[in-house]
Amino acid sequence: MATVNGALARALLRLFAVQGSYNYERMLGVGVGVAEEPLLRDLGNGQYGPAVARGAHFFNAHPYLTGLAVGAAARAEHDGASPDQIERLREALCGPLGSLGDRLVWAGWLPLLSGLTIAAIALGAGWFAVAGFLIVYNIGHVALRWWALSAGWTYGARVSVALHSPMLQKAGALLGPAMAFAVGFALPLAARFLAVPFPRWGQLAAVVTAGLVFLSLRWRSDRLNGLRVALVLSAVALVVGLIWQ
Amino acid sequence: MILPIELLIALMVWGTLVGVDLVSLPQMMIARPLVAGTVAGAILGDIPTGLKLGVVFELLQYDILPVGAVRYPEYGPATVAAVATAHAAPGGGVLGLGLGALVGLVTGLLGGLTINVLRRVNSRIVHAATAQLESGDPRALVRLHVGGLLRDALRAAFVTMVGLTLAWLARPLLSGALTVRGALLLAVAAVGTALAAGASGTLRLVGRGPNLAWFAAGLGGGILATIWLR
Repeated sequence: MATVNGALARALLRLFAVQGSYNYERMLGVGVGVAEEPLLRDLGNGQYGPAVARGAHFFNAHPYLTGLAVGAAARAEHDGASPDQIERLREALCGPLGSLGDRLVWAGWLPLLSGLTIAAIALGAGWFAVAGFLIVYNIGHVALRWWALSAGWTYGARVSVALHSPMLQKAGALLGPAMAFAVGFALPLAARFLAVPFPRWGQLAAVVTAGLVFLSLRWRSDRLNGLRVALVLSAVALVVGLIWQ
Repeated sequence: MILPIELLIALMVWGTLVGVDLVSLPQMMIARPLVAGTVAGAILGDIPTGLKLGVVFELLQYDILPVGAVRYPEYGPATVAAVATAHAAPGGGVLGLGLGALVGLVTGLLGGLTINVLRRVNSRIVHAATAQLESGDPRALVRLHVGGLLRDALRAAFVTMVGLTLAWLARPLLSGALTVRGALLLAVAAVGTALAAGASGTLRLVGRGPNLAWFAAGLGGGILATIWLR
């Protein structure tokens, strides 16, 4: 038992760096292989090498939930599943783990806390808000990584049971509305926080700029993004500012 | 920008850590501009500037959804460079905000390009090591992975160094030539675009479903709070 816990702990630590060798050929595959390797060490001589090689094949999913695939694949190797079954298990997990993680974390937990932090800064909380963001975010982050790895190891090839956990469904249902409300609340406060030092004409210009850029980003979202527009507008502002002495 | 060497080293180290955190290790969100900017501000003894530029770049970050192999700018080291620029700008405040945002945007663009280059380099190295990987040699696997991590650290250090160099150049090249009005125009462009990108990116996440009503409710609440604060 202690050996399994030690191997799970090593796998968890390695999962924090799962994207360290991200590439377009195997995506997260190499990192997944590195994270899975401690869980494969007690396999027999003829099984260990091929299992390590399989672990490093192509894989792509949300990094926080990749542990589910690592745990499930390692467990399936121990349970004597065939190489084909393990490859199919990994392939089948890519899509669901990607979309679930994107919905829970990138479109839920992260913007929710970011919105709350921006609002708190605008209301005068200062760096305490940022410290709170880091602590609260990472409680959820580490808990999700640990849950994913342990659920994968527990269920093995039946890992789809874990993906239908009521906890995940409830979290998904709550985070969407909470994120939408928090960021909506933060935007006007952020506008005030950033534009207060501007003179009246500057505040008006910022509002007009925001409105026009918003419309253009919505209209041509296929071609435009915030960075491109910001760079173009900054270049224009720079030229006008240098001429308009 | 003339900063004591120890502050420059601290900013370099912080920018590198922030750059590595974005993708490689440990993704604890120190790469978010809110955190990167605040800590850069604390290093410089100027937390308010760090918070302000942190909010600007955090709003721009809402425009990005890092799914799959999508390409995106890197705003972490960019925010560190932006805060360094704004802190050194004569008069600071609004003047610094515009110049800082400009330096940060250019650094963010560069950061995004280097991420793409790094992934291509990693692809070639992984492709070349296919035979070793298929042999199931764990040492080769770990060596390959650690190599990727180290290359990302070098990449992040390079981006931060370029950003801080731009910050150093911004003062003699732009601060002297720009009037208060010119610097204000830059700040207006950055703030306006950041707010628009924040709203547009959030609406993309929210979609047209029931969450849109929650977004509208939050927006209403935020407007009421803003009026109350006046």
